[in-house]
Amino acid sequence: MKIRSLSLTDWRSYRSAEVSFGDGLTAVVGDNGQGKTNLIESIAWISGTGSFRGASDDALIRLGADAAVIRSTIEADDGREELVEVEIPRVGRNRILINRQRATRSSELLGVVQVTVFSPDDLELVKGGPSLRRGWIDAALAAHHPRNAALRGEVERVLKQRNALLRSVHGRLDADAEFTLDVWDSKLADAGERLRTARRAMLNEMTPILATAYDAVAQQVAMVECHYESSWSGPLANALLTSRELDIRRGITTVGPHRDEIHVTIAGAPARTHASQGEQRSLALALRLAADGVVRTVGVAEPVLLLDDVFSELDPNRAAALLDALPKGQRILTTAADLPSAARPDQVIRVHNSALTLESP
Amino acid sequence: MSYSTTVQELIDQLGRLPGIGPKSAQRVAFHLLKAPSEDALRLSRAIIDAKERVSFCSRCFNLSEGGDECAICLDSRRETRMVCVVEDSQDIVAIERTQEFRGRYHVLQGAFSPIDGVGVEQLRVKELMSRVADEDIEEIIVATNPNLEGEATAALLVKYLKPMGVRVSRIASGLPVGGDLEYADELTLGRALEGRTVLDTGNDSQP
Repeated sequence: MKIRSLSLTDWRSYRSAEVSFGDGLTAVVGDNGQGKTNLIESIAWISGTGSFRGASDDALIRLGADAAVIRSTIEADDGREELVEVEIPRVGRNRILINRQRATRSSELLGVVQVTVFSPDDLELVKGGPSLRRGWIDAALAAHHPRNAALRGEVERVLKQRNALLRSVHGRLDADAEFTLDVWDSKLADAGERLRTARRAMLNEMTPILATAYDAVAQQVAMVECHYESSWSGPLANALLTSRELDIRRGITTVGPHRDEIHVTIAGAPARTHASQGEQRSLALALRLAADGVVRTVGVAEPVLLLDDVFSELDPNRAAALLDALPKGQRILTTAADLPSAARPDQVIRVHNSALTLESP
Repeated sequence: MSYSTTVQELIDQLGRLPGIGPKSAQRVAFHLLKAPSEDALRLSRAIIDAKERVSFCSRCFNLSEGGDECAICLDSRRETRMVCVVEDSQDIVAIERTQEFRGRYHVLQGAFSPIDGVGVEQLRVKELMSRVADEDIEEIIVATNPNLEGEATAALLVKYLKPMGVRVSRIASGLPVGGDLEYADELTLGRALEGRTVLDTGNDSQP
């Protein structure tokens, strides 16, 4: 799909702004603190995944304003035009309209706007804890099919309930509590097994795409591999029973999909601990490219690529290689520095003090 | 600026009601203060009357007015061998509207949810078990909500009722009647496929 037009009212630093986007590469340029990231953050927000900067809704509304409004026309892959309107008020619930029809859940936006965001924070995917990599694979699963988002939600909900139960028994299990724990265990066993199976299948599909993407960005053949390490073996129901005593003592669930890890290795060495800064940066980009690639190959949609200030961290060679490795289609990048020489933008938007002007490329 | 103690007390009391936040509590409080006295009195009388006359049925824990048992339990025309288990009294109203069920009910008064501190002791599970033991019940129909907590409650009931030799069934979930397949959400449609019914087994070939 493609973003055709975007209008912002009281969104972040923007009082009021309107812009339209072309088909190919758009460069959003300007000094730091002028509103470049705020601009693409609004596009990411209407894809239904919230703020990629992890901001609360309240932070999205311009200081002194009562509500932020995003209005955007989208061209779907089959050429249909769709209108997305979002109002985020300071008080009360968000209003989301798709083609003037009220949407009940923000996840309905997932079906209309798909984006892949690249940001400097992605480095944490490589260097940070396992929850980020689980989040990475789960987001790819959710983009693949809404059923997976529901499954992930179910696992989280069951875990919350089971942990609340574990804490409430204060280390001692009577007959009633044992019965009720059995019920949550069977729910967790069922949903947990299904989530692990889905993640493994997704990882198998993504690994070759990841390896190719890494080689392209790093400009070398490096053998990137992924390995899904599960926190249990055999049926999860048995593992939960085995760990029950420990779980009761600690008041948390110690096995399950929320304790699984995804190891990424470059030429056999763990990327998290052994790769160089440059390799880790390339890998972070490759992880995003792989998630994007798998959405494209299963044919759900062509996401819009949003690249937030990723070139400042890359040397000119890698920057050129990344630009080359990006799937064609609509790409919107922001940069405070000069554009990489390899970039040939079709459109340049200059941001100054949260005002947008088109420049000839 | 803060309100006088009396006004603040009204706002606080209203704010304790479910679904009413501090802002709504304020709005309702000022509405009541501005309204004619008889309106406010009528409301307070309605609350007092309801609290005085309405209690929970001693058999099924449905709301019961002016008696030990509720109107449904007292109705001699109702089928006593079938009991439909629901989370709340409101669910009975919904099922009664269908006019498809002529048995009795049992209200659990909630669903199993450790986060909210609701476990077996808070639900009327033990009471259901004594009913199964004492009454001539053949089938328990579990009509808890089709969400995680409702399903967990259903699973829990099965565990407790298993040794008692009573038939336990679960209401089906699936597509709304008169709807269109293409507008159904994936989860509902998936569940409908799972719970499909056989129209023809294909085994009864003619001789």
